[in-house]
Amino acid sequence: MRLLALFACLFVGLSAQAAPKKEAKKEAKKVEPVIKAVVAPAAPVAALGERAAIWHVWTDKEGQKLDARFCGLAGEFITLQSRDGRTFHFKTELLSAEDVAFAKSCVDLARRNSFSPAVIASAAADIDRLVASVLTANKQTLNAPATDEQFLRRIYLDASGRVPTATEAATFLASNAPDKRAKLIDELLFSSGYTMQMFNWMADLLRVKDTFAKGVPAFTFEDWLKARLSAGTPWDKLVSEMITADGRLSDNGATGFMLFDAEMPLDGVSNLMTTFLGTNMACAQCHDHPLADWTQRDFYQMAAFFGATDGKDEAIGSAIKKAVRADSSLPKAAVLKIEQMNTFRMEDSDKQKLTFPKDYKYKDAKAGDPVTPALIAWSKGEKSLPVYNVNTKTPSQLRDEFARWLTSPQNPRFATNIANRIWKKAFGLGVIEPVNDIDDLAEASSPELMAHLTFVMKAAKFDLREVQRVIYNSKTYQASASATPDLGKAKYLFNGPIVRRLSAEQVWDSLIVTAVGTYADNVLLRRGDDLKAMALPAGKVTLAELKNAVNRTTKAFSGGGKLAGAPKKAAGGSALGLANGYEGDKPISRFSLMLARASELPQPSSETHFLRLWGQGDRLLADSATNDGSVPQVLQMMNGSVGKLVSDVRSAAVLDAMKAKTTEGEVTSLYLSYLSRKPTAKELAAASKSLTDGLALTDLAWVLANTREFLFVQ
Amino acid sequence: MSILHSANLLRNPEDRRSFIEKCAKVSFGLSVLPFFTRIAEAAEVPGAVKAPNAGLPGFGKAKRVIFLQLNGGMSHIDTFDPKTGASKGPGSIVSAKGDMQLTSYLPETAKISDRITVIRSMTAKVGVHASAAYLMRTGFEQRGTVQHPTLGAWAQHFLGTSHKTLPSSVTVNRSSNHGNGWFPAAYSPLPILNPTDGLMDTKSPVSEAVVAKRTGLLAELDAGFGGKASDESVKSYNEFYESTFQLMKSTDLKAFDLASESAETRARYGKSKFGQGCLLARRLVENGVRFVEVAIGGWDMHATLDDRMEEVGGDFDRVYATLIQDLESKGLLESTLVVVASEFGRKPTFEGGGRGHHPLVFSTVLAGGGVKRGFVFGASDEKGYAPKENGVSPGSLHATIAHAAGLPVQTDIITPAGRPMQVGNKAAPQTGVFA
Repeated sequence: MRLLALFACLFVGLSAQAAPKKEAKKEAKKVEPVIKAVVAPAAPVAALGERAAIWHVWTDKEGQKLDARFCGLAGEFITLQSRDGRTFHFKTELLSAEDVAFAKSCVDLARRNSFSPAVIASAAADIDRLVASVLTANKQTLNAPATDEQFLRRIYLDASGRVPTATEAATFLASNAPDKRAKLIDELLFSSGYTMQMFNWMADLLRVKDTFAKGVPAFTFEDWLKARLSAGTPWDKLVSEMITADGRLSDNGATGFMLFDAEMPLDGVSNLMTTFLGTNMACAQCHDHPLADWTQRDFYQMAAFFGATDGKDEAIGSAIKKAVRADSSLPKAAVLKIEQMNTFRMEDSDKQKLTFPKDYKYKDAKAGDPVTPALIAWSKGEKSLPVYNVNTKTPSQLRDEFARWLTSPQNPRFATNIANRIWKKAFGLGVIEPVNDIDDLAEASSPELMAHLTFVMKAAKFDLREVQRVIYNSKTYQASASATPDLGKAKYLFNGPIVRRLSAEQVWDSLIVTAVGTYADNVLLRRGDDLKAMALPAGKVTLAELKNAVNRTTKAFSGGGKLAGAPKKAAGGSALGLANGYEGDKPISRFSLMLARASELPQPSSETHFLRLWGQGDRLLADSATNDGSVPQVLQMMNGSVGKLVSDVRSAAVLDAMKAKTTEGEVTSLYLSYLSRKPTAKELAAASKSLTDGLALTDLAWVLANTREFLFVQ
Repeated sequence: MSILHSANLLRNPEDRRSFIEKCAKVSFGLSVLPFFTRIAEAAEVPGAVKAPNAGLPGFGKAKRVIFLQLNGGMSHIDTFDPKTGASKGPGSIVSAKGDMQLTSYLPETAKISDRITVIRSMTAKVGVHASAAYLMRTGFEQRGTVQHPTLGAWAQHFLGTSHKTLPSSVTVNRSSNHGNGWFPAAYSPLPILNPTDGLMDTKSPVSEAVVAKRTGLLAELDAGFGGKASDESVKSYNEFYESTFQLMKSTDLKAFDLASESAETRARYGKSKFGQGCLLARRLVENGVRFVEVAIGGWDMHATLDDRMEEVGGDFDRVYATLIQDLESKGLLESTLVVVASEFGRKPTFEGGGRGHHPLVFSTVLAGGGVKRGFVFGASDEKGYAPKENGVSPGSLHATIAHAAGLPVQTDIITPAGRPMQVGNKAAPQTGVFA
């Protein structure tokens, strides 16, 4: 019901424009609460992708209209962007049947614009050829092809972030279609789970946190990233939008990436070099790199591209403080939040302020002198590339110039860095390791393979979905898995993917789907809109405006629900307090666990949450997730709330199994739910016997969830 | 093989690469270094690094460390470094045992001050709570590009795990906050957020009979994948499950159980979170945990300092004196270093009934673990504004604790990111505090 109301309001804006003023006002008032549908703040249309925009007047079931551009269709969710730049994200069931069909045709069109099956096949075959030649040269061979069961589980985890349900598994395994693997790959890459798992992966890389600095909430950054991912925004556009983002977090979620380091801008530069280029300049920040070629001067010259950028607007902070002094009745907590939210703001001045540090000790520059921006290069010829021709004369443009160089296909590392990371996502290891230090391309286990992947990345115009499509269709990816290699002895040549423990998010999301089924794929957390209430209008801070902002803020955060999901408290992890932040379906809660997927929970979860125990990163640094083991993990899986969740009679996997008419059917169903395969005769016998010997299906579910096989992807 | 090599091994690029590969393999979960596994396996060649400080006084005397974090910034002038004149606070100055002066807010501590060393010349530059607390907890200034480990993780790196089933480091009343730093996640302290709850989820919610049947079936059904695994990370998980089964049956779990203490002892420590936290810390170190952090807030006394000192300071005073006496009566004090650390001191001047943040000089207190008894190290100036002699940086404090714990200080290790680092951030230990 709420969704219908919500959607209705999306259309009101359009009809209101034509309607007489008075009526429009009335309408606007009526629809106020549903503004929640706006998942991302205004952004340039171009950022959502370069492919020909499809504009369309969309009609809902009630006949109301919205003029918007089609951005993407993932599972049951459609993403649209209206003429004024707002992004809308909702379930397709709200649309008329004709428009649902139209949206599907848009997807088909987008797919036709993407790589054709022939191109995919050829690019995948090139991967296989390059891997095979290295293997042959080293007297090794590719592993045997993965079985359908192995492939099924792997592709579900990699492309949609969770194991398949019993039904999904049975359907795939029963199919005799010769192209069923390719079909499944395409289906999963366009599911809502794809967006969720990409969000988890990027959240670890981009340090997506609910709060940064002194508890400043960054929900708009999360909402922005989710909207971009569901719209299929290519990596270069995504990165460029983050680096060049202007304004406050409340107005522009994309600022979240740069604002994370607003108080430590030099660290910020060092971090983004590692994240986007695989270049490790952290040492050069304080002294010439002892082990690599980077000098401190190199670092400062790069950092100077951000020397005109300011992440903190201290003036507004003192203006607010001054205004508050005039009226002591204003609630302190709300004012503090408003102050923080408005203080963090990305802006460029017309002066590059970075100077060499006081303790600068090298002869190539003088301490205290202003730094002239200059780009680094990895080899001599690179500096003559057209992309190195940047304008360093206009300080306010420096950041844009840097972003243009950074995200260009001509950048010597940008495409390689992301290609290597995407490869690692699929195989468990990068072609160059470690992935955060790829300065020396000759260190790749196969430089030719690395070059090919870089080429594919550029050919796909940085569309990560397309690149993953190529990789997943390769025989190399579809080979059975190798044991974790000892890189101390030799480089790994990719006989197949490596056996990996599921990531924290994959374990959690898999347990969620066994608990509540595919329902969880439609539970989406969006919390950023309330933060808009904190934004002060441009210009002088007046007490009246401040009061308005306080009222808006108090109202938006009233009822406890969202407040609990706001600053600081979210870090404490009262996930249940997030209830009001969900759109799509509402999450179910059992044993004090919010049964939503990891991407739709606090970022990151609280330290004692299952996700963190299993290695979800704290996101203070990039790549902070781990898959190390520990006893508390096992304790929670066996005895804790998650153990109870697994062996609960309401479990979707158990209920599925109960539908079977025979014991064999029951056991098989649970095996499919947890391990994506049928039991062997021996396993079937043992499990069946236990069911007549005092154990119930809920116990069998517990047992299967506690097998090592459940925790690992083969 | 240690993942962290001495820096001079790494000057040529080939060594560097192979080193980085070794580091990398850890992060893939290959050598899942368990904090709960056998010492022989987890210990990364203990003693392989030669400690240049091994011959100096106090080296290795502290087998365990209890690190008390007084969050908010303890006023040095109103506690361990009393002043007369304009700086004097509301409390009076009293002569305490061990020939030192304390304020009247610490009557119980005054009775045991012949067992402690007060460092009155701590000095730092950071006056913001979170960053200063980070500095005091790690010995390093906070940075956006690296997370520094706590002393517990450093100790686990150099000395191996401290017990066969119990964790080597525990944090009480606080989260672990990336306490492993660049070391493997398994070096991260185990957080106990509520000392009276102890370790969670150690008991199965179902009957023992069902547990037995479930685990029997689990062994049978996992024989295929788990049983024949050649993969190191799968094998590690087999061990974690095995360790967990053992732990659940083990009496070691009692280390976390405050109910095992007599009512009299529990009462002596008091009901406060700090009191119960310190009691838990004592139980843990007594049972083989090497490094325990206990946090307590309430020290940010900008206003009503007098009342707050009575309340927060009073609780600290009773609990701290109890802890020192309890350790001594159990014969553990000489081998257990107890550190009282706060992120900064407070200004000599009063503003609105309290004092502002003051990192330039402040006090830290050491007891046990081979430090001198009834001793004052260093001094602040007359006002309590700046160090007068023997300034001690947070890094140097860390080097001092590390030295007491038998770790090599001023010795490079190389982090997985290829950066040379030292416990205590290159600072020298203050050997003058040791007996």
